[in-house]
Amino acid sequence: MELKRMLGNPRWVAYGIILLVLLFVPYLLPTFDLMLFEYGLTFGIVGLGFNLLLGYTGLLSFGHGAYFAAGAYAVAMMGKYLPQAFAMELLIPAALLFSLLVSIIFGFLCVRHTKIFFSILALSLSMLLFALIFKLYHLTGGSDGLRVPIPTILGMSFKGVRRPLFLTGTYYYFLLAMFTLSFLIMRGIVSSPFGKALQAIRDNEIRAELIGIRVRRYRLYAFCISGMYAGLGGALWSFVNGHVTADLSHWVFSGEIVYMTLLGGFGMLEGPVIGAMIFTYLKLYAMGNTEYWMFVIGATLIILVLLLPSGVSGAAAALWTKMRKGRKTEGVSC
Amino acid sequence: MWVIYTLNGLYFAALLFLTSLGLNIILGVMGILNLAHGSFYAIGAFMGAWTIIQIVTKAPAPLLYVSLLSGFLLAGIVGWIMEKTLIRAMYKRTLEYQLLLTFGALLLLEDLIKMVWGGQALYASAPFDRLGKVEIMGSVYPAYFLLVIAITLCVGFLIWLFMGKTRLGIMLRAISLDREMATGLGLDISRLSTLAFVLGSGLAGLAGALVIPTTPALLGIGMEPLIFAFIVVVVGGLGSLKGALVGALLVGLTRSFGIAIFPEIELPLLFLIAGIILVAKPQGLFGR
Amino acid sequence: MSNEISRRNFLKYVGAATIIVGPLSGATKALGQAKRPAPTGPVKIAAVSFLTGAAAGPFGIPADNTFKMCADVINKEGGILGRKIELLSKDEAGGVDAQVKLARKLLLEDKVDVDLGYISSASCLAVLPLADELGGLIVAYDCGTHELMEGAKSPYEVPKFKLGFKSSAHLGIDNIGLARMIKKYLPNIKTIAGVNQDYAWGRDSWLIFETAMKKLMPQVQVVKTLWPPLGNTDFTAHISALMGAKPDIVHTSLWGGDAVTFTKQAAGMGFFKNIKTAWSRGEPYPQELGKDFPEEQIICCAGTHYFLYPPPEKSPLNKWFVEEYRKRYGKYPTYPCYHAYQALYLYKHAVEKAAKSAGGWPTQEEIAKAMTGLTFPTPSGDITIREDHSAVEDVLVGFSKLTPKYPFPILDPQRMEIFPANQVLPPVGIRTVDWINGWK
Repeated sequence: MELKRMLGNPRWVAYGIILLVLLFVPYLLPTFDLMLFEYGLTFGIVGLGFNLLLGYTGLLSFGHGAYFAAGAYAVAMMGKYLPQAFAMELLIPAALLFSLLVSIIFGFLCVRHTKIFFSILALSLSMLLFALIFKLYHLTGGSDGLRVPIPTILGMSFKGVRRPLFLTGTYYYFLLAMFTLSFLIMRGIVSSPFGKALQAIRDNEIRAELIGIRVRRYRLYAFCISGMYAGLGGALWSFVNGHVTADLSHWVFSGEIVYMTLLGGFGMLEGPVIGAMIFTYLKLYAMGNTEYWMFVIGATLIILVLLLPSGVSGAAAALWTKMRKGRKTEGVSC
Repeated sequence: MWVIYTLNGLYFAALLFLTSLGLNIILGVMGILNLAHGSFYAIGAFMGAWTIIQIVTKAPAPLLYVSLLSGFLLAGIVGWIMEKTLIRAMYKRTLEYQLLLTFGALLLLEDLIKMVWGGQALYASAPFDRLGKVEIMGSVYPAYFLLVIAITLCVGFLIWLFMGKTRLGIMLRAISLDREMATGLGLDISRLSTLAFVLGSGLAGLAGALVIPTTPALLGIGMEPLIFAFIVVVVGGLGSLKGALVGALLVGLTRSFGIAIFPEIELPLLFLIAGIILVAKPQGLFGR
Repeated sequence: MSNEISRRNFLKYVGAATIIVGPLSGATKALGQAKRPAPTGPVKIAAVSFLTGAAAGPFGIPADNTFKMCADVINKEGGILGRKIELLSKDEAGGVDAQVKLARKLLLEDKVDVDLGYISSASCLAVLPLADELGGLIVAYDCGTHELMEGAKSPYEVPKFKLGFKSSAHLGIDNIGLARMIKKYLPNIKTIAGVNQDYAWGRDSWLIFETAMKKLMPQVQVVKTLWPPLGNTDFTAHISALMGAKPDIVHTSLWGGDAVTFTKQAAGMGFFKNIKTAWSRGEPYPQELGKDFPEEQIICCAGTHYFLYPPPEKSPLNKWFVEEYRKRYGKYPTYPCYHAYQALYLYKHAVEKAAKSAGGWPTQEEIAKAMTGLTFPTPSGDITIREDHSAVEDVLVGFSKLTPKYPFPILDPQRMEIFPANQVLPPVGIRTVDWINGWK
């Protein structure tokens, strides 16, 4: 992608502006809101990967919490067993590796099926991991969970620094960098021949097989990539939250990931990121303001599915198209 | 002692069978995985408990048992409402939306239950207490568990009759086997789907109501039965009624003997068995 | 400051500072100011308990009721140092990440004066570190884990958190108390078993009980340990397995619906004919089950919390507490209620004590300082918070017995035992398990 082409493309200009704004966010938001924003960013990363599996490959996993948990627990367990090696340069690869491992094993079992069986199997496997984390409490802390200390980043130590200061300072920029990187990589994947092949499989499996695409293998690749994204998100999330528990692998938590993706819209790459942000605020404010917060979340979800099936980004895109009134716009396929 | 272990396994399998049967009927006929299935179990539990509490001091004994049917009825009614409003809207949509809608319904129903019946536990153990105990080979066993096994056998038999011998049942099976063909033959898919959903949800409600005399109705009571039902569906095969029976028996008996012999293993053991079956037979024991 | 600053300049600076700072000192959280007029707004107190889910019925709702009741009573009496309490009841549900977010919101955005919370050990473990992170007071009022305030190895430094406290004792006192009770009253038993929920609570409870029993009654053998999952509704398999192993006593930390279900199903299967159960936090269940709760079971009270202890004649405070709760909510209060009382009144007494030396509304640090070492009255007796910021409590253990006066079994007054704190709590800085293993 040449720079000139990028600068001429309104989408890239928009990305550039957003990135610029994001750089200044720590100066614009108070501590609490910034931490909330960071939760949103980590789920945004998860959503990017999830979208690859759902939007582009057509597979709905109700068990993606398992890979999120894999990444988060990789970090937490290193904190417990290898505190002297608790450096970000080691933690991120560890999280990616561990979530990749779990994705390969679970993915291998799942991609042999589609649709309902796929979803139910993905769900059951995540519950298996949940049960294991619970059971192996000596290792994992079980239901108590594990604490996540503050790591060193590129040799910088944060000893004595309180977490809020760490989170609103250096960590934010690290997280932003990771998010930007993940986003760019995902764009690359999605525009590549591999990405096109996935869409072909989604649209017509038999035809794809006929033109020589190894369906099952490509699905597994997509599954693993999305699993690693979830693991990365989980690891980055664990620093923000400071504590991990088995709940991260529970199917209801996975349901929230699906919710976010739908809320944002899975037709566009940016969709799940927006959805992650909105959901984070939605859940917190519902919980803070009413004891019937589950009703609020559930009703919102139902209304969304019925009225805004392509999510917020889809609705925004439709609005944008309408506003331009017939003027030819860029192809929406990402 | 082994007789008691077997009976325990059968009791667990009975409730599991009702729940998974309901899930499979909906799956088979409508192709929908209802993530809110556990909520119907909970509705049945709360309704059953509430009804018993209302009438326990005034009603004669047999009425207490009949009143458990109120769980079946309310679950069916709520299922009917849900089908007409939400599920209807989903027919044209893809799988993702169906699952998400039912997930949203799960959250909604959980809080609705709280709104209607409050957050506290509801106890209604009179049906359990009144039946007393029986002696089986030197051990004491509550008669109520035997009643539950008997009721489940009856219900299973009735469903078998219904599916196999009645016109409606045969039509339902036809749809589940080949939806397009069934439409081509002129079957009223829409009305039959409603029937399937109401029946399936009602069965979950019945299971929930039957468990009430032995345990209080609590918020979240439907979550664990849902997971077990999923395991049975995975093991027995999607949409298979025979699979629900065999799967439930397998899970129930394994659990009962497993606890007695290898207490540590419980839940992971079930997942392990499910995993083995899946690797050997990816579609489940009786799946297509 | 060098000698060059003359006295005159110094006074000028001080004068200027006072003029600038003076008006600002009206702010609610004035820190380290010379003069401290009392803030006039209400005291914001967050109370976080399970208002939904399985733990709501047995613990969260009774505790929340008590928080509301006590806040109401304190406000009627004029509030804390003249400031009314604004109670924010929040739900502990939604998972640990939701609780972390909620705690941050309460401390940073809502700026509550204190966060009283948490029934689940996972919540406590995740949230308590936020006290020091965010500079807000957090008091854990109910969760049982002994890991909360203990360090990784003995001896460990105390306090673990400067602004984090635990206003009730941990599960160690219950399980050690049970072991001591069994030794005293049933010294001739030969075998024990355990049925506990398969998560940290159950595992920890059994661990402490087993360790204590090994020391106190080494001749007793463990014949079976069962681990049903949390929320299990079918205990028939477990009951049969236990009966098959023929233990004299079965230890259990089952709670809520599981406790009720287990007891009912077990009674129906003839379990209690030859087996006694020892309940580590069993105090609420006789009231829940009524006559269905068998007699002669060993019950522990998570402290000395019981509606009949101290007896109303001996403790006017308990008498008032029981009657007031019963009047408002129709039941006798159970231990979560007493725990809630302890948390709220700990805060109140600490603020009042700190205010005396601060000469105005105290800062968080000053309140924390006042809380440490504080002894204050509760319906269960006087409670002290020691240097490790956790509560020192005795434990009450008894046998269930039906009496004509109550429709459910009460603790047999003839055989109620109070084990003092020094017999059931390790000294400061020593891990519970290490302490037990060090007994002679």
